Amino acid sequence: MQVILPDKSVRTLPGDPLPVAQILMSLGIKPSGVIVVKNGCLVPDDVLARGDDQIRLIRIAHGG
Amino acid sequence: MAIEDKCSLCNEPAVIRGSENGTRLCGSHLVLDLEGRVQKNIAEHCMVSSGDHIALALSGGKDSTALLLFLHHLQPAWHGVKITAITVDEGISGYREETVMAAKNLTEHLGVSHHIHSFSDYFGDDLDTLLKGHEQRACTICGVLRRRVLTEAARKIGATKLATGHNRDDEAQSVLMNVLRGDLARLVQDSSSGSPGSFLPRIKPLLTITEREVVTYLFVRNYCTDLPECPYTVSALRLEIREMLEELESWCPGARDALIRSRDGMRRYASSLARSGALQVCRECGEPCSGEICQVCKILASLRH
Ligand SMILES: [Zn+2]
Ligand SMILES: [Zn+2]
Repeated sequence: MQVILPDKSVRTLPGDPLPVAQILMSLGIKPSGVIVVKNGCLVPDDVLARGDDQIRLIRIAHGG
Repeated sequence: MAIEDKCSLCNEPAVIRGSENGTRLCGSHLVLDLEGRVQKNIAEHCMVSSGDHIALALSGGKDSTALLLFLHHLQPAWHGVKITAITVDEGISGYREETVMAAKNLTEHLGVSHHIHSFSDYFGDDLDTLLKGHEQRACTICGVLRRRVLTEAARKIGATKLATGHNRDDEAQSVLMNVLRGDLARLVQDSSSGSPGSFLPRIKPLLTITEREVVTYLFVRNYCTDLPECPYTVSALRLEIREMLEELESWCPGARDALIRSRDGMRRYASSLARSGALQVCRECGEPCSGEICQVCKILASLRH
C-alpha cells in the first residue's frame, strides 16, 4: 500500500492488514497530529488498511 | 465495508471517532453534531443576544474559518444579529499573504462584511520588522499586539461582542501553560464579560469542539485548504503541552475537559474575592490596564531598545 505523508513524500509498504494508527506509528508519525484519507475518503485512524489501499495524511496545523 | 467503519447513527462510512465515547460519525452526522454543540454553547453561556453586532476575529486559518461557517449558519435564527469579520494582518512574510487571501475569499463567498487591519497602521511597522532580535518572544508579542488591534477594530465598527475561534484543545493547553508558568492571575482572568475596563465581551463558541473535529468539519464541508504554518510557530511550551495532552487524553479520556472545568471552578472562587488594585488607564496610550503602563506600551518600549 501507499502512504502519502503530509509533506507529499510517498512510502510504499507491504499490504498486510493493519489499523492505520499502527501503520503511522511504525512510520514515526503521531496519529494525533494528522487526519487520515483512505482511498479518497476521510476515515477514523482505527480502520484497517491493506493491499493496494492508498493512505493520504493531512497535518492538523496548530493555531488558526 | 466492515461494521466498525460505519457511522453509529446510519449506514454511511464514518469519518471520525469520538475520543470519549467512541461514537463514530459520518460526515453529515458530524456536521449536525457540531452545529448542535456550537448552538448549545452559545445558548448556555448567553453568548449572543438579539441586536448584537459580532466582530469575528478571522485569521483565515482553520479555527476562525470554521467559526465563521458555524455563526453564518446560525445567524438566520437570531434577531437582528450582524456579523463583521476582522482580519489582523501582522505582516509575516511568506505566511500572512495566503491566509489573508483565504479570509477575503471566504467572506466574499459568504457575503459577510470584512475589514483588514495591519500592524503597520497601528504600530508603525509590520511584525517581521518589530521582532528583529526578539524572535524568541514572537508569540507573546504578537498575541498582545493582535488583541489590541482586534479590540480597537471592533470598537470602531461599534461591535457588541468579539468572537474568537479558540477550540477545546487551545483552552486546555492555556490552562496547563498558565499553571506551569505559575501565572495564577492569567489563569483565573475571565474575559467573557470583557477585559477590565472595556465593555466588549469576548465569546468562544468553539470552546467544546476539538481541533480534530474542526479540521474534519472543514474537510467534510470542502473548506480544508493546505495553508502554511506561521514561521515563528507556536511557542515551544505550547507544542510540548499539546503533545502531552493528546497522549494523556488517549488513556485518560476527558482529561482536557477536566482541566477546563478546574479552571472554571477556580474562576468562580476568584470572582467572589475583591479585585485587588483599582483599574487605571495607561500613562502612554490611555487604554485601561492594571498597572501604570499597559502590556502593549511595555512591549513596544522593549522592542525599541
Ligand atoms: Zn451518519
Ligand atoms: Zn498603553
